[in-house]
Amino acid sequence: MLDPTGIFDLIKTSLLFWEFITFAILLFLITRYVYPPIRDQIQKRQAEIEGAIDEAQKTREEARELLAEYRRQIEEARGEGRRILEDARKQADAQRERTKKEAREEGDKIVQRARDEIGREREGAIRDVRREVAGMVIQASEQVLGRTVDHDEHERLVAQALDDLEAEVAAGSTGNGSRTA
Amino acid sequence: MSNMLTLAQISATEVREEIIHAFEAGQEVWVELALFGIDISITKAVVNLWIGAVVTFLIMFVGSRLLKDRPGAYQVIVEEVYGFGRNSLGGQMGEEGRKFFPYTLTLFVFLLVLNLAGLIPNAYPVTASITFTLFLALLTFVITQYVGISRNGFGGYVTAFVPPGLPLKVVFVPFMFAIEWISELSKPLTLAMRLYANMLAGHLLIFIFLSFILYFGTFMAVVSVPMAIVLYGFEIFVAVLQAYIFAILTQVYIEIALYRKEH
Repeated sequence: MLDPTGIFDLIKTSLLFWEFITFAILLFLITRYVYPPIRDQIQKRQAEIEGAIDEAQKTREEARELLAEYRRQIEEARGEGRRILEDARKQADAQRERTKKEAREEGDKIVQRARDEIGREREGAIRDVRREVAGMVIQASEQVLGRTVDHDEHERLVAQALDDLEAEVAAGSTGNGSRTA
Repeated sequence: MSNMLTLAQISATEVREEIIHAFEAGQEVWVELALFGIDISITKAVVNLWIGAVVTFLIMFVGSRLLKDRPGAYQVIVEEVYGFGRNSLGGQMGEEGRKFFPYTLTLFVFLLVLNLAGLIPNAYPVTASITFTLFLALLTFVITQYVGISRNGFGGYVTAFVPPGLPLKVVFVPFMFAIEWISELSKPLTLAMRLYANMLAGHLLIFIFLSFILYFGTFMAVVSVPMAIVLYGFEIFVAVLQAYIFAILTQVYIEIALYRKEH
């Protein structure tokens, strides 16, 4: 025998034979029943992960767009608010001004009306007083003279006298501040 | 104690026989069988081979049946092994070579299991047998030649062994052809020898260090046992490394044949 100890194990037909059978079966079983499910699983997961990444990317894109949109809307709303406030302020100012003006005008008008009224009253009163005074003076003069006087002439004289008196009174009232009836 | 003292008196011849016995045990016939006069008895080596094959299959098969969308640790390992075969073994030179990875990956896992199983005490290291490694190497050689011829055509494949642009064609063409073919034929031999010698040497080293105890006496255990443990650890590394080398070289040889004309 070439190798009596077996340490070099030169060509052992039994090992060779069974190795061939065993390895062939093992190779068949593993390539048939082991690799395909693992491959499918890996491919499935790969597809899932890719899908998830795509999904995430899409979602992020959408979120970014949404955020930009919201930012824009907020900016718009802020601008709008500012504008509204500005308008309101302007309107309020204008309103105030207008109200003030109207009030002033109204007041002026009332004052004017009152003044006119007073003036009219005053003139009426003066006219009455004059007429009264003239009448009284004429009456008194008639009684004193015992005859009728020329009414028209007399009235003119009285009016002149009264005008003089009035002028005097006016001068006096501005002079010492007290007014005598 | 008296036992150890008698152990210490063993002779060199006896030590050698003790070591050799571990390998002789592989030839121990358990069931005697013959096919057309050829011995196909089931020996210890054959049974160890079967155990290795069954373990290889179970490791992979169980992993392939426990596949979930959320992988556990075991699934990750099996998937990593698959990924290693597909991406690291396959496609050394081109995409087309990738389709041979199921063969090389099976070879890798099978050799790894057998290498590691051979380290278990009292198991027979099947990969430390030249018959075993030579068979796988020759199988690789046959696949290599088949793939090379079927892809490049017989003429294309054979002539591609001669590099183009040689001077003095009458002399150099036959010369290079012979050189290249010697190199090609040496591939299965080196492949077989590498694995066989590495595994055998590793086991012998462990045996030799432990046999110092038998030869020199019990006190040698102080040196022998730590050394044996270190070598044992180293052997685990070698087991993985040699399985990887065998598998990757097989893949590379196949792909070289595949792309013979392009290179």
